[in-house]
Amino acid sequence: MFRYVVRKAVGWLVMIIVATNATYFLASWFLDPRSNYRDLRPVRTDEQISNALAPYGLDPRTSVLSRWWHWLTDVVTRFDWGHSPTGVPVNSELPHRILVSGQLILVGVVLSVVLGVALGVYTASRQYGAVDRVTQTLSVVLYNVPTVVSALGLVLVAISLNQHLGFTFLHVAGANTAGGVDGFWPNVLDRLNHLILPTVNLTLTGYVSWHLTQRALLLDALNADYVRTARATGLTRAQAIRRHALRASLIPTATSIAFTIPAVLTGAIITETVFGWEGMGRYFIQTINKNDVHGAVAVAAFGAVMTAIGAILADIATVALDPRVRVS
Amino acid sequence: MTDVGGDVLGGAVGAPSLRLGRSRLYLRRFARNRGALVGVVILVLLIGYAAIGTVFTPWSWSDQDFLALTQEPSRLHPLGTNQGGNDMLAQTVHGLQRSLVIALSVSVLTLLIAVVVGAGAAYLGGRVERMTLMVIHFLLVVPSFLILALVSNQVAGDWRVLIVVLTLFGWMFTARVVWSVSTSLRERDYVLAAELMGVSSWRIVVRHIIPHLGALLIVNFTLGVVTTVLSETSLSFLGFGVKTPDVSLGSLLADGAGTISSAPWLFASPAALLVLLTVSMTLIGDGLRDALDPTSTAGGRG
Repeated sequence: MFRYVVRKAVGWLVMIIVATNATYFLASWFLDPRSNYRDLRPVRTDEQISNALAPYGLDPRTSVLSRWWHWLTDVVTRFDWGHSPTGVPVNSELPHRILVSGQLILVGVVLSVVLGVALGVYTASRQYGAVDRVTQTLSVVLYNVPTVVSALGLVLVAISLNQHLGFTFLHVAGANTAGGVDGFWPNVLDRLNHLILPTVNLTLTGYVSWHLTQRALLLDALNADYVRTARATGLTRAQAIRRHALRASLIPTATSIAFTIPAVLTGAIITETVFGWEGMGRYFIQTINKNDVHGAVAVAAFGAVMTAIGAILADIATVALDPRVRVS
Repeated sequence: MTDVGGDVLGGAVGAPSLRLGRSRLYLRRFARNRGALVGVVILVLLIGYAAIGTVFTPWSWSDQDFLALTQEPSRLHPLGTNQGGNDMLAQTVHGLQRSLVIALSVSVLTLLIAVVVGAGAAYLGGRVERMTLMVIHFLLVVPSFLILALVSNQVAGDWRVLIVVLTLFGWMFTARVVWSVSTSLRERDYVLAAELMGVSSWRIVVRHIIPHLGALLIVNFTLGVVTTVLSETSLSFLGFGVKTPDVSLGSLLADGAGTISSAPWLFASPAALLVLLTVSMTLIGDGLRDALDPTSTAGGRG
């Protein structure tokens, strides 16, 4: 098991390295750091601008390959992800932003998977019941609501609720109240309150695909021969579902987790924008708008790492569930 | 002899029944699905709105009415106006046109690429197949939205460029589905027969494998429209897609987002159009999937 996980992790590590470096070249090609200095007064010459960019490894006069090598050696030897065109170190932005986005994405993914799979299992074992029909319709509609619309809709609901109640029941902006709250527990509660709406948004847009696929998979498994055999050996329907059908139908669900992480990242970018969270998603938009090559690459690396973590967890789950996979 | 032949034939067909043409059968199965019909009605209404919606307002989408800035829906402006005095009805008509054109063309293009790559990889097999799958899997797990934003922000603003960019990063998932279905098609007898007759690989892919993917492709086309509308909206909302002065549903949403509590009508009309568009396409896609299912036995009579 351990060797299997290590082998998978090495594969993903290669993927992360390739993706990050590819993004570096794409970013250097499409982003022009000089434009940050063009609008400054007094007007700088191109040479002055290039001189200003040189200490950050962004000098456009040197070749892309040498800039890339410089950046790569810094990342590998000192874990220094470089500077923005205006000299702000990328490393100073990363830790708190990773924390903010990480908690949002993690809680969002876990809640979506748990809620979606539970709903799928419940409705599949009661096919065409009232609950099945209602949740099915709801899920098809939610599947088609863009993250932008659902996020803004939640903001509208929360604002009218707050106005109705007369006090701020749900916070609609930021990861915590500006200026901070006194005391440890009030602070924790304050952060949790801010987390509610963005998490609800990510969950609402994320759970649907799990619900629909898990329902379809379990329905297929319920009609399989091995479930009938299990019933014939004297198991009750609930036991047969739990021990045989459910276990088999969870395998494809587990393997597909890795492929949903990019979508979750996209959802997180929009959610952070709407709810005003200073996380990696917002940072990515800022870096692109400010032509910050190093910052954009760092966000891409973060995305690749999140995908890899999801994929490795999915692999472990598959091994645990699927008796056909032998790893030792 | 002729009589006997006729009898045998009659016995094979069974009870005299109205034999339906294939397209009639599909149409009948599709029409029986109430959700799919609702989807078609909504889609036709939306296309009609995009085509002739401007007759409801004297304003063009780029006209500015400086006497009515950020006004609620009224008789003069049925859907209100935005901060610049643009009539929202004209703007949503134009935005819907943009979003529809982008979504339809990207879906067609991605489908073409996906079919050629997926079916080609499955039929050619061996090293080509392994390499193609590696590339597809790599592109699937790379946070492609980030790259999409990176590329489209620098070159876009122009919706035609956006079509190219969305196509380049949108074909992988369909290609993988096409590949997995084609792997079973390549084992069929008629493919072997064609091979033995000396038909070239390329010709086998085009003439024998791709036509059998028909149903799958139609369904994937409708779902592709949904996916494209969603990503175009996200990009434009974040400011990386269609940009001012041009207008799409996504950029209209972005405009409305800032004033959501003071001027909710700026957000409501593009949001409603967007959800109607994606819901109708999903309903149609589901209906088509059921109607084109070759294992289905429904729809013979009545």
